Amino acid sequence: MNQTIVRPPAAEPTASSRPDFAIETSGLVKIYSGDTRALDGVTFGVAQGELFGFLGPNGAGKTTTIRILATLLRPTAGTARVAGFDVVSQPDEVRKRLGLAMQTVSLDAFSTGRETLELAGRLHRMSPADVRRRTDELLELMGLTSVAKKLTGTYSGGMRRRLDLASALMHRPELLILDEPTEGLDPQSRTALWEELERISKAGTTMLLTTHYMEEADRLCSRLAIVDTGRIVVEGEPAELKRSIGADTVVLQLEATDGVLDAQRAEVGRLLQDMVEPDGITPHPGGVALAVPNASSAIPGLLRRLDSNGVRIAGLQMSQPSLDDVFMKYTGRHIREEAADQPIIMGW
Amino acid sequence: MAAVGGFFFETYYLGIRTTRRWLRVPSNWISILFFPLIQLLVFSQLYQEIIQLPAFGEQTSYLAYLAPGQVAFTAFMAVAWAGYGLIIEYRSGYLDKLRANPIHRWSILAGEMVPLFFQAAAMAGILLVVSALLGATIVTGLGGFLLILALSGLFGVCLSGASFIPALLTKSEQATSTFSLLLFPIVFMSTAFVPVALMPGWMQMINQWNPMTYLIEAIRSLMVVGYDWSAISAALISMGILGVILQIATLWAFRRLGL
Repeated sequence: MNQTIVRPPAAEPTASSRPDFAIETSGLVKIYSGDTRALDGVTFGVAQGELFGFLGPNGAGKTTTIRILATLLRPTAGTARVAGFDVVSQPDEVRKRLGLAMQTVSLDAFSTGRETLELAGRLHRMSPADVRRRTDELLELMGLTSVAKKLTGTYSGGMRRRLDLASALMHRPELLILDEPTEGLDPQSRTALWEELERISKAGTTMLLTTHYMEEADRLCSRLAIVDTGRIVVEGEPAELKRSIGADTVVLQLEATDGVLDAQRAEVGRLLQDMVEPDGITPHPGGVALAVPNASSAIPGLLRRLDSNGVRIAGLQMSQPSLDDVFMKYTGRHIREEAADQPIIMGW
Repeated sequence: MAAVGGFFFETYYLGIRTTRRWLRVPSNWISILFFPLIQLLVFSQLYQEIIQLPAFGEQTSYLAYLAPGQVAFTAFMAVAWAGYGLIIEYRSGYLDKLRANPIHRWSILAGEMVPLFFQAAAMAGILLVVSALLGATIVTGLGGFLLILALSGLFGVCLSGASFIPALLTKSEQATSTFSLLLFPIVFMSTAFVPVALMPGWMQMINQWNPMTYLIEAIRSLMVVGYDWSAISAALISMGILGVILQIATLWAFRRLGL
């Protein structure tokens, strides 16, 4: 198996003052009181402008990593630099450059949407005029202008998410960290938020997001790390990771009666031997399953050859490995989409 | 200096938020005012004959005797559950979100505590006005009125630690509100209802250490007698001691929260 683990190039000191990596961690370990080892040596880097994903089941250590990067939690061991500043020794420099939206959207229910954004702006020392301008702009962008004067306690889940994101964007951060940004949203709001995140990313903001939705990681992230039990098990581009698992699958339904099905299978096997992976032909109910390197480009050729040899096809399905297959390969388990109901971790 | 300026700046904006949070829920100020108002209205009628006991001295109206205690009780009520909001926001993750801003962590606590001065003073002011309308005197006039508000506000800030400490240590709303109930004896054993001369000996002893009693006597002097600076300074000293002890413990408990 060709195991493709793409590591960021080692961070050599460079001449330029702007760091190559917006986020750079080395051997992060977090042990909570008791003996819970939430992180067990997490090392990764996020390049400037990248949209990097952390994919893993609940409890994998995603939120712990985020909290360390956002200066809310001290690592037990290891280091992390965000926008070039150490999260432990220079937390205020990190906070000035960071926008954060957490998994549980917590807003002040007794502030209005506008007041929420204005407070964020003031705390980031934006000028009153800039605060007003930016607030109007973000309310408009997030479609919240009509509810700007309503208390956030009256907002729907989608509105709360959008306001939370707006508040993270208020001070025009270099870097956005989003913990499970679409958790609990209906499919429509989720798609809308994805589009918004893509837009922000295209505008040049570096983004780190965690998710346990494969589809989300697949669609949004240019690169991602799969995490499990406090460790990064594999890292790379989504397509590359899926390719690393191996071949696509093409299932052919054969037009054959029961008696001759096995003979047909053997015939197909003989005909297509050179077009599939070694040992890439397995029986499948009513036909055969073929493992091919690239299904969409291989199918026309397969069909032509079968057709010219008189093999009749009743149906065809193709499937590509999913990120869940990637997860399965590296951890031996599926990502279960279970409810996020970890106990609240208090203090440090 | 910049750090100090930043602290005041942040406290101001965070304080506006906590004040808004308080004002926008009417049950906040209704629950503060209700109990003292009822006691003022009902007890002044129910026990009106008690004023004939010699221990009340020259006082001729039980309402006038009762009013200062209810003003002080209002300041007490205004802060008895002060830690509640903080702990709810800690648990909801809102404090974490505040902490991800480039602000000093102590600003978050100050943003909770400073507005309590104004809340306690304003609530005590309402009781004071109602008392005056019912016939209680404020012989020191506007100056005394404002001084009473300031004393009530200060007392509120000093006492608030008694709610912040259990809130921060237990992080539990239930424990916090239960603990507040345990504070009520300091009100009932104070000189809010009867002069210390009518109390059993052990209660008289306790009252020498009861900051509530010192506040009530200072307010009473301002309402009934005039500027009695020894009573006023005794009140300031007692609440100063209370404030230093409770708020140092509060700072310690807040630090322990690890924000």
